[in-house]
Amino acid sequence: MSGFALALFAMLSLVGDERAQGGVDPYAFERARAAVVRAAVAKVSPSIVTIETIGGAQPIQESGRGGPVEAGFRLAEGPTTGLVLTRDGLIVTSSFNFAREPSIITVTLNDGTRHVAKLLGRDHIRRLAVLSIAADELPEPEWAPRPEIRVGQYTISCGRALGGDAPMISLGIVSALDRRNGNAVQTDAKVSPVNYGGPLIDIDGRVLGILVPMAGSGGALAGAEWYDSGIGFAIYKDKLDLVFDRLAAGETIEQGKIGVILEEDEPSLIPLLDKFLPQSKGVKIKEVARHSPASRAKLRAGDKITAIDGKPTGDLPELQRRLSDRAAGEEITLSVKRRWRSMDVKLTLVRAAEIGVKPPDVEEEAGESEDETTPTTQPDEGN
Amino acid sequence: MPWKSLSACWYGGEANLAELREHFSFGRRPVTVVAVLVLAAFGVFAHGAPSIAPNTTERAYQRAHGAVVKLYGASLGREHGYGTGFLISPEGRIITVQTLLTAGRSLRVVTSDGRQYEARVVRTDDTRKLAELQIEGKDLPCLPPAESSQVLPGDSVIAMGNWFKVAEGDEAVSVNRGVLGLRTTMDARRLTQDVDYRGPILVYDAITGNPGAPGGPLLDIDGNCIGIIGQIVEAAATNTRLNYALPSEEILAFLGGEPAAGATTQPADGAPAGEPYLGIRLSKLGFRHVSAYVERVASDSPAAEAGIQADDLIVSVDGERVTDADSYNAAVERLLPGRRIQVIVKRGQQLLRADLVVGEKK
Repeated sequence: MSGFALALFAMLSLVGDERAQGGVDPYAFERARAAVVRAAVAKVSPSIVTIETIGGAQPIQESGRGGPVEAGFRLAEGPTTGLVLTRDGLIVTSSFNFAREPSIITVTLNDGTRHVAKLLGRDHIRRLAVLSIAADELPEPEWAPRPEIRVGQYTISCGRALGGDAPMISLGIVSALDRRNGNAVQTDAKVSPVNYGGPLIDIDGRVLGILVPMAGSGGALAGAEWYDSGIGFAIYKDKLDLVFDRLAAGETIEQGKIGVILEEDEPSLIPLLDKFLPQSKGVKIKEVARHSPASRAKLRAGDKITAIDGKPTGDLPELQRRLSDRAAGEEITLSVKRRWRSMDVKLTLVRAAEIGVKPPDVEEEAGESEDETTPTTQPDEGN
Repeated sequence: MPWKSLSACWYGGEANLAELREHFSFGRRPVTVVAVLVLAAFGVFAHGAPSIAPNTTERAYQRAHGAVVKLYGASLGREHGYGTGFLISPEGRIITVQTLLTAGRSLRVVTSDGRQYEARVVRTDDTRKLAELQIEGKDLPCLPPAESSQVLPGDSVIAMGNWFKVAEGDEAVSVNRGVLGLRTTMDARRLTQDVDYRGPILVYDAITGNPGAPGGPLLDIDGNCIGIIGQIVEAAATNTRLNYALPSEEILAFLGGEPAAGATTQPADGAPAGEPYLGIRLSKLGFRHVSAYVERVASDSPAAEAGIQADDLIVSVDGERVTDADSYNAAVERLLPGRRIQVIVKRGQQLLRADLVVGEKK
């Protein structure tokens, strides 16, 4: 608890209540806590903006058995929430809020002024987006340094979707640190489309992270099914900083794919294999897609991926989890075992849509023909 | 905690410090030297140490739960045959939400002591979706609506109700706690239909958007009734379940026969209003979700005087957001001729505000 909160608390409990006789008066505690929460929200409120979008449609998921289907979560038309990132007009929010691909975006500042906004870039891994508006002298919020964030501390989620003259708030705690590949802090404050794109703050009004839907994987709306569940995520500032330049420059960051379907050894065989072949740990490639980073690196079905960037990957879930955090365009080094031979291959990850498409500027090597039977499009579980 | 258990703490040595401290701090019962010594022995007599479990909720619950009743009646399809209400007078007046239950032939009320009554529907409110019931009884525990305005965002609120019918027979209803998140006005849908009620609501972060919860009371930490949990709806802005209550002032207005703030505003004098006219014709390109682009502005019309031009995109009318031609038409229909309103349009990359007086269609 902050110094301010403690001081307020001590003051109120000294004033007391007729229901208290010594010790801590729980009613005074409640009142003090509520006052501290309101002060924290009031501190960050000037930086919280309302985002409205016009046009667009419910996103379509490709994977339906009977053809394309609408995503499971029915997207509403907003408004949604954003947070001032820089005083010269950059706003950070969640990519969720633009899944409809709207034609017009407006940002209403806390002072009521409304601006047409430009969507600069989106990060589909961390579910972030950066907007710009023609305004300056915007009130930047204070961010809490990541090392100070502790499990159990109070959190407040803030969102503008429900109108009114203040943000909708929910009080909770930090449930866990370093979730979702270390991108997010987890909270039990209620997180939903009411506050996606808004800040999760501490009781000093400092921002802990940007609230995003981040459960599961897949389409633009994945994670929204978990709304108000007590499992909410907010992206840390340092993770936002890592991609900020690219987003501000208008880039779209998407999960990178290597273009393989993976299989795992029979679980019952693993201990036995481990015994005889100490280096048998790894994930076996079942199929390699044509015109993919894997095919260009001459990976083959049956090869076993044992490490990414030198860090061993023991099993399929771990490999998938680590790959899910890598963006298209990034270069990774895979350590691969082929029978008795070990090798390191470098490859550049691509977007899922680029797999099976022959890039004009890349010379495909001969010997590719043996992969002729492999699928040219990636199923959902591909990597 | 009775004296017996206090001495158990003393002899057992395994005292639950938090519980003890909490008990001591309430101090309704006489606190003797023994108790002080117990606390001193555990070193918890420090004044400034924040207590971890201030049990204000239990006291509020004790004060209110006797008045909360379970309702049972007809069910049909997705409508559940159970609900919650609460007594607002010792003579058996009950307030609840208007559902299929209150429309059915038989409505059974089970009070907190397990007694069963047949209830009669006294009055209903189609906009607020509230209903007043009457059971034959006297000297019943009751929870009259109190003022809600002193409760602010961040203050704890306590919701009570029989969600999912988990309380059976004479079992007490469930209690959830959260904080008040926002006071706003209702803009919601129920089963894809727009909700008529547009009045004030209290939104909080306890989860009550579940079957059986509507009709239960919302309390402040002192156990005062500050609202009634509303029917299950989805917020229009998010398509997510809204956890909300109608403030107690709306209950009192309903009981007093005052009309609610509805989707359609009628002129104060009750005279039928003329049809509103702005002089804007929208472009009709496309077939679904046509964007509200202005095709033509009638000369000498309110829109023309305010400077609205062809190819402007209408963004809002009188504070209501316009997303397509349908929502534009709906917003215009609600306008009253003679009223001064604001229309916001997008022209190029600029948002422009037009102030105009709504005309009347001749």
